Amino acid sequence: MLTDRQFFELAVFVYGVSLLYSVFLLRQGLRRDTWVNYFVLLAGFGAHTVAVLQRGVEQHRCPIGNLYEVTSFIIWTIAGAYLVMGLWGRVRSFGAFVAPVVFGVGVFALLVPPDSAANYRGGLVSAHVALIALAYGAFGLGSIAAAMYLVQDRNLKLHKLRAALSFLPPIQRLEAIMSGLLSAGFALLTAGLAFAPMLAKQQDVVALLRGDPKIMWSALVWLIYLALVVLRWGFRQHGKRLAWGAVASFTFVMLTFWGFNLLSPIHNP
Amino acid sequence: MALVCLGLSHRTAPLPVRERFAIAEARVPATLQLLRETGLADEAVILSTCNRVELYAVTALEPARAFAELQSFLTNCVEYRDPLNDELYKLSEPASIEHLFRVACGLDSMVLGETEVLGQLKKAYELALQHKFTGGRLNKAFQKAFNVAKHIRTETNIQRGATSVAAVAVELAEKIFSALSGHQVMVIGAGDTSEKAARALLSRGAQSVIVANRTYDRAAELAKELNGRAVHWDRWSEEFDKIDIVISSTAAPHHIIDRSKIDAVMKRRRGRPLLLIDIAVPRDIEPEVNFLDNVYLYNVDDLQAIADDYIRQRKEEIVRCDAIIRDRARELTSARPPQTSSGAQRPAFGHD
Repeated sequence: MLTDRQFFELAVFVYGVSLLYSVFLLRQGLRRDTWVNYFVLLAGFGAHTVAVLQRGVEQHRCPIGNLYEVTSFIIWTIAGAYLVMGLWGRVRSFGAFVAPVVFGVGVFALLVPPDSAANYRGGLVSAHVALIALAYGAFGLGSIAAAMYLVQDRNLKLHKLRAALSFLPPIQRLEAIMSGLLSAGFALLTAGLAFAPMLAKQQDVVALLRGDPKIMWSALVWLIYLALVVLRWGFRQHGKRLAWGAVASFTFVMLTFWGFNLLSPIHNP
Repeated sequence: MALVCLGLSHRTAPLPVRERFAIAEARVPATLQLLRETGLADEAVILSTCNRVELYAVTALEPARAFAELQSFLTNCVEYRDPLNDELYKLSEPASIEHLFRVACGLDSMVLGETEVLGQLKKAYELALQHKFTGGRLNKAFQKAFNVAKHIRTETNIQRGATSVAAVAVELAEKIFSALSGHQVMVIGAGDTSEKAARALLSRGAQSVIVANRTYDRAAELAKELNGRAVHWDRWSEEFDKIDIVISSTAAPHHIIDRSKIDAVMKRRRGRPLLLIDIAVPRDIEPEVNFLDNVYLYNVDDLQAIADDYIRQRKEEIVRCDAIIRDRARELTSARPPQTSSGAQRPAFGHD
């Protein structure tokens, strides 16, 4: 029987296969239906689900207790949400854009030592971590929708034939999906961060007062997404600027998430 | 007993010949009744469309004689007395069955892969069935043809994409807007292609049409036909904030829509997408407009290039379709039950 780590490695490998097939699909201008890619991602998600469940059962806790587990959970959320959305044929082509994200973040997660110890324990902590992980999942999918928007926008303007022939959804729908996911992610992030003051009482308050890097970083991320949500709903910002904002914000989150976690004495004791 | 096909189509006969062979739907039962009385065929279906007139018959006669007799019957029916060279094709099995399948799939149509002919074929078959002019052979062959057409539609790209400028315009609109319902269309210059494009957009759910033309009466006339609203030529730009799709085809010698005009409109629209279809030559819309965010401009060459590519893509699928058709035709002919000692497989003309 494989260990949970081996199941996760298998999942990342299958996500990698999906990435290769996605490159092929994208090079062809997404002219084919993407059922094959959907099933490849489904297979990866199956192995990933086994990895998450097995870890939870073996450790007798919710498997979001350390950096490796949280990263794995974020990918699992993105892949799972895509598989649900992909049942709707018109957005199935999302898979070609989901594959690079889940594979890339999956490889990052494999670089993190698979610590069996939980850095975070307790009901409140689990809720705090789970809500924030779900928020990053939503931001991840939102940035994928934004990337698709940018590709389709470019095709519609410059590669008109490719735009007509591709299976990409209409840009208005992509924008609606992107806006919805950004808003949902922001609500989840706000809810997750709302637990922080309650948790702080149990933790090192001195470290907090000195300015914990992860807390500062979280506040910055919250402000970035607040700005995007306000731009979209308050100032009715449409189109490319919002899409670039969504892609850039998530890229920033993914590139800095691990670093700030490692720098934080509270989050990485 | 063999299934034969005798007919002419846009591939073999020019329109003046085709129209003389055309048999109106109301005359088809009487024509089939006449055929029954001659005893030439046991079962028959007549397909008569603007692009083809074909007689599918199941006959016990030796093919060469059957074709001669059926040709004579057909020319007499339509009173065609002029000499015929290669206009009529005469197909016996398995070519007749393969041809029927190709027709059902739109592979023999003027617009490759079109689906209208399948409806016409179904109607012709149902008419013959209703009047009991079909039997076991033709029933099986036509049912199989409909089945093959469905299979090819789902398994190949033979029917994918739009092949006319108007249909491509609709397809592009559907790549921008989630649904066309709720979106208003403006037609500037009441030309034939813009009218077709507007009709196509309306048929796909566009909310309404505003028509502007230099001659107000022509605008009002077209607006009435499209259940839309006409505006005076000097006031069309005032409507721009409300509309999402513009089809322009005026005879103006210069650009009537430029970048600065659309830039101002887009600020008021707060980034809502705008699709501009310029089918005028010389062009009505300044090409630089396409550089504005959320504005998508297509001219007639763009639309034609997309339509041509779809046609090319459909042509590439012909080989796949033909392979499927040959397999299915072989299945049909090999599945035929052994003939009786008398050689008769089914009673004549569906008298079973």
